[in-house]
Amino acid sequence: MTPFELAEPRSLREAAVLLTNGGEPAHAIAGGTALMLMMKAGVFQPKRLVSLRAIEPQHSEINVLPGGGLRIGAMATLRSLERSVLVKQAAPVITRTLKTLSNVRVRNVATLGGHLAHGDPHMDLPPVLTALGAHVRTLSPAGERTLAVGEVYTGYYETCLADDELIAELIVPPQTGWRSAYFKITTRAADDWPTLGIAVALRMEANVVREARLVVSAATNTPTRLSAAAGVLLGATPDAAILARCGDAAFAEVELVGDVHGSAPYKQELLRVYVARAIRGALVDRL
Amino acid sequence: MNAPTSIVGQPLPRLEARAKVSGRAEYVHNMRVPNMLHAKVFRSTLAHGRIRSIDVGAARAMPGVFAVYTGEDIRKLIAEPYYGPAFHDQPILAIDKVRYVGEPVAVVLAADVHVADNAAALITAQYDELAAVYGEVEAMNSRAVVHEVLKPAGTFADLKYLKDKRDTNIALDFHLRRGDVKKAFAGADHVFEHTFTTQQVLHLPLESFATIAEPGDGSLLLHSSTQSPSFVRTEIARLFGWPDNKVRVKVPYLGGGFGAKVYVKSEALAAACAMLARRPVKYALTLEEQFYMITKHATTLRIKSGVMKDGKITARECEVWWNGGAYADIGPRVTQKSGFTAPGPYDIDHVHIDSYALYTHLPPAGALRGFGIPQLVWAYESHTDMIARELKIDPLAIRRKNILREGRPQATGTPMKDAALELVLERLATRMQWDKGFDKGTGTVKRGRGIAIGFKASISPTTSMAIVNISADGSCALYSSTVDMGQGSDTAMAQMVAEVTGIPIEKITVVHPDTDVTPYDMATLGSRSTFHMGHAVKNAAEDARDKLYALARDVGLSGETTLIPDIFRKKYGMLAGNIVGVGSFIPGYTPPNADGQTDNATPFWMIGATGAEVEVDTETGEFKVTRLVNLVDVGKPINPAIMETQISGATVMQLGFTLQEQMHFTNGQVTNASLADYKIPGIRDIPPMENEAVDAEQRSGPFGAKGVGESGTFGVSPAIANAIDDAVGVRLTSLPLTAEAVFRGLAKKAGRELL
Amino acid sequence: MNTTRTITFTLNGAPVTTTVGLHQHLVEVLHAQGLTGAREACAQGLCGCCTVLVNGIAVSGCLYLAVFADKADVKTIEYSPEGKLDAVQESFIECGAFQCGYCTPGFVLMVRQLLDEQLDPSDDDIKHYLAGNLCRCATYPEVVKAVKLAAKKRKVAA
Repeated sequence: MTPFELAEPRSLREAAVLLTNGGEPAHAIAGGTALMLMMKAGVFQPKRLVSLRAIEPQHSEINVLPGGGLRIGAMATLRSLERSVLVKQAAPVITRTLKTLSNVRVRNVATLGGHLAHGDPHMDLPPVLTALGAHVRTLSPAGERTLAVGEVYTGYYETCLADDELIAELIVPPQTGWRSAYFKITTRAADDWPTLGIAVALRMEANVVREARLVVSAATNTPTRLSAAAGVLLGATPDAAILARCGDAAFAEVELVGDVHGSAPYKQELLRVYVARAIRGALVDRL
Repeated sequence: MNAPTSIVGQPLPRLEARAKVSGRAEYVHNMRVPNMLHAKVFRSTLAHGRIRSIDVGAARAMPGVFAVYTGEDIRKLIAEPYYGPAFHDQPILAIDKVRYVGEPVAVVLAADVHVADNAAALITAQYDELAAVYGEVEAMNSRAVVHEVLKPAGTFADLKYLKDKRDTNIALDFHLRRGDVKKAFAGADHVFEHTFTTQQVLHLPLESFATIAEPGDGSLLLHSSTQSPSFVRTEIARLFGWPDNKVRVKVPYLGGGFGAKVYVKSEALAAACAMLARRPVKYALTLEEQFYMITKHATTLRIKSGVMKDGKITARECEVWWNGGAYADIGPRVTQKSGFTAPGPYDIDHVHIDSYALYTHLPPAGALRGFGIPQLVWAYESHTDMIARELKIDPLAIRRKNILREGRPQATGTPMKDAALELVLERLATRMQWDKGFDKGTGTVKRGRGIAIGFKASISPTTSMAIVNISADGSCALYSSTVDMGQGSDTAMAQMVAEVTGIPIEKITVVHPDTDVTPYDMATLGSRSTFHMGHAVKNAAEDARDKLYALARDVGLSGETTLIPDIFRKKYGMLAGNIVGVGSFIPGYTPPNADGQTDNATPFWMIGATGAEVEVDTETGEFKVTRLVNLVDVGKPINPAIMETQISGATVMQLGFTLQEQMHFTNGQVTNASLADYKIPGIRDIPPMENEAVDAEQRSGPFGAKGVGESGTFGVSPAIANAIDDAVGVRLTSLPLTAEAVFRGLAKKAGRELL
Repeated sequence: MNTTRTITFTLNGAPVTTTVGLHQHLVEVLHAQGLTGAREACAQGLCGCCTVLVNGIAVSGCLYLAVFADKADVKTIEYSPEGKLDAVQESFIECGAFQCGYCTPGFVLMVRQLLDEQLDPSDDDIKHYLAGNLCRCATYPEVVKAVKLAAKKRKVAA
């Protein structure tokens, strides 16, 4: 690794200012697990880092909002989300997803904000949070803004966040009436980058789907909504025939990228099968 | 008092157990010495090219850099800086040409490892690109030649037959002829021919390669993570033109080896740097760099069999192409020693084998847990099931019909001796309940089962020496150059010493390899230590015991009944003196004739078989191994607990090579050089496993024992492929076995082709 | 450009003050302190060989900037206040749950944290918890046995 300077501001606001206002361009570091990999590989050689570890402690808090939604500070570790009773009650799919995400040691250190800002399409929470309709609130010297999680990602390792814009918190809307699932499909080791990630959130009335959000990740450059497949579900009771149509619609509407985990045509086939399985998985959420 | 105990055969914990669980066991990768420099290497980005220039200016100018060296600097120190166990083909740093992506081209020395690393990244090189060859079959007749001239090393007795060669990629061609294959094919009811491939994989011990070289006055001390300290000493001394005793090689524990750390690996560069810099130099590789050091041969194997209606195999023709990469390493030995078992453990009268060690422009390949055997078993045991399926004969029945029985000649003509092939097969059948019905699954989940059995010869003729030193107080030290890399040799050898001398194992220490102290051993490889070093240790212990008893007699005591300190006290008037027992061992061996025939190809045979049960998801091709049963003949195990761990560990390693692991390349550049992208088995990848060593004895072995470390690998790959075929009728002929390949097979059967 | 910092932390119960490069990770600094039980192997947080406890929480030392350990309580496998093996270490020995031993300190530290959180872990709990520890010798079946034995030993002791 190459030497760098380190700033350790006491507030998020100060951190945002330091990112562009300290001479050399700087990069924020929170848990650092992902950044360290890039620095060790030499693909990222910062001159200056701005550590977020000393900012206000409320940025690590997990709170329930009136109505049952969640507000989670960006500095909350993934492990604190995983172990949070509040998260498990409000959105158990997040708890389940975290158990498949990297490993305990990384989750002990990695933060929610870092995870969401990294932009690696293999990350697990972006598709899940997109399906849940979650938003991030960001902060920069120019001000604050709120973005749907799905809007953050603009390309392979690319986000719409400005150089001096930091994710402050995540807002997960109330999930009353919704059922969700995330299927992480790995084709080599059990613990591997996903070949395919599929997140599903369904708002059900009795046995009928009233709203549906289907998201595919890992084999696309960004978490990608499967609108046609979701459309098949609206107003329907997801029986075998509907699920098959849904899989076919997903197969037809998105073009997946092949890699060492599987060729593109094979991933398309997996998508067809696993969209249906993920929907079935969502139907048993909270049951 | 000193009567024999029965400590051999006990499942004792490892001698070093406390040190290992408390993080205090020593490994070279974690060592440092005063005034040490770190070496970091700049590697070739081209698979084949003539070096036009190397620009080290920026690296040299970086503050904190002590020195930067290229192949030309090495050549000033060592006129012929080429090494290798079979051919002297590998330069310490590239000279004139680069031959694979990742080959070391220049090295930076700095006291700060980050400085060395960052400076190495500033080096650039210009090459004239040359045509490259990557495929092993293609390399046979390729116009791209890896080495213009080949010089045999002449170091090892069993490789004395290697010849000087020019303008060929064939490092060695081994041929075996037995009977009349042509005629037998003509007379057979059926002839089957199949081709199989295996992929390039690698060892990946978690302790990567590491050497610390300390220069002396015309001498060198090397601390190295090596499986072959004696060879390293000889080879480094040869490079410098020194007598052997000017090079001292010390080896603590190894954080895994698996065949990666044999012969010379990180040592030559560390030694050369230390002599040029006149400072201690540590050359410790990252895990990523292991992908450029040594790998396991990718292979193509063609097998053709003549079979009678009843399943009797009458003739077999095998062609094996081993992809050795840019430097031969020990590939020629793999090609020959493993090549002669290519027809499998079957009694076949007419056999024809051609086995080729080939150079290509890929990272070098050497020995990896099984020495080529897993690749061969993969082919011949898949082939066996394909024949059985075609002839509608039960897979167990066809094996029973053809298995090599005790005393029958193997393809080389060497009779099988103490090789429990039949017993292993029968125990596997029993444990798998092969004669009982099997639930084949329903709906989209289909189930299948498969078996496979393989065998391996040991390495001969190779020498081991040992010293057993009994101190006056009755404690004892064993001096041996066998390296404990996790296989538990320290413990097993100490058990043997305890058994012979009657000294309690708590009073026995095992002195780790130090070539100034511990005597010669060929190397720790190929499951040879238990047998070869075991004999040497047993001989040394017996020699020590006999000398002790003689000493006792001298002073009018009985060695059998007197406490050891009392013997010494009476002799020397106080607790003084030592008894030093020495032992050596070299097994018999007859070199093969021009047809590959010999009456003594190996001192012992290793046998391993695996049964697998799988569940296949017919919608996705995904499959799960739901049961693995591993049967081995290891003779009488010295330590059954460590033995079982070795069997299951070997099985899981091969499971990784079967299902998960593969080096991916683009233009010779490996593209997945990290554990994030090259997936070794983790705790969630382990199927339910059962391991059993059959009740057997290697009568020629020490205490009836023989090698253990590799037998668990043999049957894994074909057993799983056979089970998949049993479940869904899809036959895979390439490793690794992937869900996608199964899915494609299923689609094809359904008349659908995936692009 | 100031690229170093003097940090103070508690290492296995004793205070340490040392100057580190800001780019150095925790394992490098521990090695400089003569503690080599935490080792960098995969360099990516996947194998667990570099496991260190920072403020009681297991981290991958090779992905953890040393400067972040400033004022922290750092414990390594070498920490042994009573100078004897604990239930986890004893169980690893009794079950033969290691071969080359390179990854063993990381496994031991993770298992301790697991048993601190769950008295009686199931096979699934164990596998989930140890999914970030790799053993190339593949001594996994023995590790699972050792964890269960350690849980039993801890219960008996408690």
